[in-house]
Amino acid sequence: MKPPLTPIVLSLALAFPGCNRPPEKKGIALVTKAMDSEFWLVLADGARAAAAEHPDYELVISAPDREINVDQQVSILENQVRRGVKALIVDPAGTAQVNSTLEQAVARGIPVVLIDTDAPFEKKSTYIGTDNAKGGSLAAIGMVAAVGATGDVVLISGVPGNESQDARARGFLDEIAKTPRIKVVAQQPGNSERQLGLTVMENLLTAHPNIKGVFATNDQMALGAMEAVEARKLRGKIAIIGFDATKEAASAIVEGKLTGSVAQSPREMGRQGVLAAIALAEGRTVPRLIDTGTEYVDAKNAAKYAK
Amino acid sequence: MSRAGARILLGRLAPLLGLVILCVVLALTSPHFLTADNLINVLRQSSVNALLALGQLVVIITAGIDLSIGSILGVSSVVLAMLLRAGAPPLLAVLGTLVLGGLIGLLNGLLLTRLKLPHPFISTLGTMNVARGAAMILAGGVPISGLPEGFRSPFNGDLFGVPAAVIVVGFAGVIVHLLLERTVYGRDLFAIGGNREAARLAGVPVSSRLELAYTVCGLMAAVASLVLAARMNSGFPLAGTGAELDAIAAVIIGGASFFGGVGTVSGTLIGALFIGLLRNGLNLLDVSAYWQMIVIGMVIVAAVVVDVLRARQGD
Repeated sequence: MKPPLTPIVLSLALAFPGCNRPPEKKGIALVTKAMDSEFWLVLADGARAAAAEHPDYELVISAPDREINVDQQVSILENQVRRGVKALIVDPAGTAQVNSTLEQAVARGIPVVLIDTDAPFEKKSTYIGTDNAKGGSLAAIGMVAAVGATGDVVLISGVPGNESQDARARGFLDEIAKTPRIKVVAQQPGNSERQLGLTVMENLLTAHPNIKGVFATNDQMALGAMEAVEARKLRGKIAIIGFDATKEAASAIVEGKLTGSVAQSPREMGRQGVLAAIALAEGRTVPRLIDTGTEYVDAKNAAKYAK
Repeated sequence: MSRAGARILLGRLAPLLGLVILCVVLALTSPHFLTADNLINVLRQSSVNALLALGQLVVIITAGIDLSIGSILGVSSVVLAMLLRAGAPPLLAVLGTLVLGGLIGLLNGLLLTRLKLPHPFISTLGTMNVARGAAMILAGGVPISGLPEGFRSPFNGDLFGVPAAVIVVGFAGVIVHLLLERTVYGRDLFAIGGNREAARLAGVPVSSRLELAYTVCGLMAAVASLVLAARMNSGFPLAGTGAELDAIAAVIIGGASFFGGVGTVSGTLIGALFIGLLRNGLNLLDVSAYWQMIVIGMVIVAAVVVDVLRARQGD
């Protein structure tokens, strides 16, 4: 019988980069929902910068391939818990699904810091992030300002069940309800993806040719919707508002193709997340809620986000 | 006509029948559906999936599967955008993208025939992840936007009211049809899918034909990336995530068999159109996100049930 060599070879290959490791540092893990857009990259940057100031800690950053792969995030979290990190910084992809793993972490004495997306997890040490409902209401105020006090608008939302995007949609709808002559005539899912944002917007423009505005709960979908509006030569006639104020969205605002977006501070989330994690690992306490702030971005202030 | 003959005819016509029924339902329920604008729109929206499905069809006919096409689409769109942004002439960038897609497809074929991996599910699952990761690395995780008009207008414009994307699908459809139905290569692919061992014994060069099938499939994914990038005005590493599943669904809804040896270009195009119409109709009718998932899932299962029943009748 041939010996099963493959697993051995693979394990050796994996062990190789770890050969020359200096003496053990205290580990902290940051687990985001994905690493596929500017938002995550900036968040990770902020976290790295904060960790660099604390050389006795080692920060490990990992994420599932896609936001929708919640189970993959659960596995990553399990691995980090088993590895025995000193603190866990998590941006939960599914607020319900990660619960039992986070329970395990706390049971082993690992403090849990939630960032970006809050979860109904009682034993968290803190939540650090945007007040998404407030951000949604900022978008609604921007929408009312852009379309005037009357007209039909539509909403393109994220992956169904994604807490932070649902909160943005709720905040938007609650705020827009205060202007009774603006009606939200459709709410359709774009799964946070640009391609679907384009398709859904085309279809909504067909079903509701008279709409005056669209709010998409992230910039990827807003940029997709923007291409649909551009293709129909409706620039300026339909207000398009996104969320995140990514560099690309901010440039589109400067060019007048996009109306507005809501800026969050992913860098601040990453930084505060790491600082809170280190504080907790050293036995200090941190506030239960840290709001990293939101700002409505339109033609007036987009330039600083476009850099 | 004999009863068996009638059944075969019904099997052939089932996809078209499904399409007609869906159109009637949508026309009755939404006043916006049956307009020239909307229908042209659906054609345009279906074009990327149609191109992917044409490639997938060639592979499924050999009783194979290609899970990597969504990722090939992603990495191709990124490389295309990088070439264009670096100032490459559009024609050169397009050719480079096509060569890349073809090469990744060829790699899929070689993994299957030379490394003798047990099933293309494995080799293409590997390529799916590698290509997606490469797209992320190349693009640094963010979309590359703002493509030159010299590239966009030929793929995103209209010709006598017909979207260029639809014309590209038409061309690709004719070429794949001719390959499958009019050449010795096509006949060999059907033979391999029908019974691989018998085909080998009859002297069909199985390995090189399979390599051809996967190369065509990768090439079609690259063609799809041209249309998508022109439409989105960007190349982005997430492009086509999960697109392989829609393409497989289109091929199966279009009457091809998962067991291999059966499938037509016309059926596949109908399948792609069916999925496009379904998504369009769900948006027009403002169906909630949760119900959309249920409807799409049920349609896919229904199509495979038809395939299984057909295979059982064939026994």
